[in-house]
Amino acid sequence: MRRVLSTACVFALLSHPAFAYLKFGVPIGGRQVTLKWAQTPVRYYVSNTSVPGVTTDDFLAAVGRAFGSWQAVPTASITYQLGGITNALPGRDDGLSTVGFLNRPDLDRVLASTSYLIDMTSGALVESDIFFNSSFPWSVAPAGEPGRFDVESIALHEIGHLNGLGHSALGETVLREGGGRLVISSEAIMFPIAFAAGSIAGRTLKADDIAGISDLYPEGDFGQNSGTVSGRVTKDGVGVFGAHVVAFDPATGAMVGGFSLNAQGQFTIGALSPGPRVLRVEPLDDADVDSFFDATQAVDLDFRVVFFDQLVVVPRGGDSGSVELKVVRK
Amino acid sequence: MSAAARACVAAALCAAHAGSACAQPAAAPDGRLEIAVGASWVGPLSFGSRDANETTSTLGTLTLFSTSTRLGGAPSVDGRVGWRLSRALMVEGEASYGRPELQVTISNDQEAGLTASSVTASERLEQFTAGGSIVWLVRPTPRVSPFLSAGAGYLRQLHETATLVQTGRYYQVGGGILFPLTSRPRGRLKTMGVRIDARGLVRVDGVAFDGTARLAPQAGASLFIRF
Repeated sequence: MRRVLSTACVFALLSHPAFAYLKFGVPIGGRQVTLKWAQTPVRYYVSNTSVPGVTTDDFLAAVGRAFGSWQAVPTASITYQLGGITNALPGRDDGLSTVGFLNRPDLDRVLASTSYLIDMTSGALVESDIFFNSSFPWSVAPAGEPGRFDVESIALHEIGHLNGLGHSALGETVLREGGGRLVISSEAIMFPIAFAAGSIAGRTLKADDIAGISDLYPEGDFGQNSGTVSGRVTKDGVGVFGAHVVAFDPATGAMVGGFSLNAQGQFTIGALSPGPRVLRVEPLDDADVDSFFDATQAVDLDFRVVFFDQLVVVPRGGDSGSVELKVVRK
Repeated sequence: MSAAARACVAAALCAAHAGSACAQPAAAPDGRLEIAVGASWVGPLSFGSRDANETTSTLGTLTLFSTSTRLGGAPSVDGRVGWRLSRALMVEGEASYGRPELQVTISNDQEAGLTASSVTASERLEQFTAGGSIVWLVRPTPRVSPFLSAGAGYLRQLHETATLVQTGRYYQVGGGILFPLTSRPRGRLKTMGVRIDARGLVRVDGVAFDGTARLAPQAGASLFIRF
């Protein structure tokens, strides 16, 4: 086994070439294997630590609610089990998936992060730890607290990583003076940047998150009752890497995003309910590119937002058939 | 009562009930089996509007763009087979085929520069219907016969890529006029003429986004022959 340590904010694991939202993939024997738990329930432990305003019991309850939200997705099969409270801290290769606080003032823009221990013969997750940076102020107040970050919201995002999901780009931001970005809105818990302190808007999973977890851990015959949209994003006839493609359901208003993940501009968005979709393509300009892709990968940001002029139909248990989304330079 | 008198009474009764369901086989002298082929136009159906909303930090919404969806009006080819139960009453089986367009109009996307304009994403459906109806000829005459009809049927809509079928049902009420053009009481083909239909068509399910019943107008014309 080999430990692969990575933070949620600067995820640099390889994105799986076939799917989106993102799912993570690890190279095993020359091929990409989707990163996921081989066995469920996923047993997790909570560190016996606390911070001002959040006792261990408060933390346990808030984290438990976040695990419960993921487990409640009816189309996904993943389950979790609380192992108990431990004196172990997150980030240790001890075989326990541990969630707890660590004081990391050096990580002044990292609220929390998730690390993995991966079986490199199978690609299966063996351990995943989540640390909350206690150098930030935290809260578990039901309605949130001004100036304090909501434990449940941040836990919901990090547990998404623990499940094997990467970041989603369904969100809008503006640049802050002095650096960083301010989130105006998002429609995915897996958006890489948290809402401002005091917000509790990150406590509810969105359609994009539900599609992602259902794709990774499909419940029963979900795979036969859902479908995928796939195609290419091209500019001047050449594939575009890193374009953000959103499948919008005009029946429900649900949005599920994906990315073009290779030089040919190919993308696939899975776990969609059957029916027509509007496809929208935009450059990845609402978060830092390295929140999604390896810094060595050249993401094309030089194109305009465009809608595909045809409705794309998601079949039941199949793929839409490849569509070509042509974008033009800004 | 003599035989002649009984015949007169019978004729009087039949005359008195002409236009109702009391008629006997002899009451449909111009043929029982009616076959019609024609075309009609079905008006558009609105499926409503949806916004692409994102959640703000205060649990409000930010609309990324807006959409409105409709099934465009389209022509269809229709066929009917009817059986006259009497001079006034006919049951029909009917089928149609059309290719309406499902259209989603997208507007108000600030990033795409759609603040003052819109784009439309669409697909062409293949639409089949099969059903039945009852037709009441209000005043059957050899010249012009107005009628009322009511019926129901099955709706099958196949998306453009032929990868997804959505089904539903329809109900219709309407009326029209039959114009016999030729009449040959002694031949096998009794009557040939033109039929004009106008209907209110209520559709449920199919490509519609919910189970709401939606009303569309339908108007058509067909050529009928009666045996």
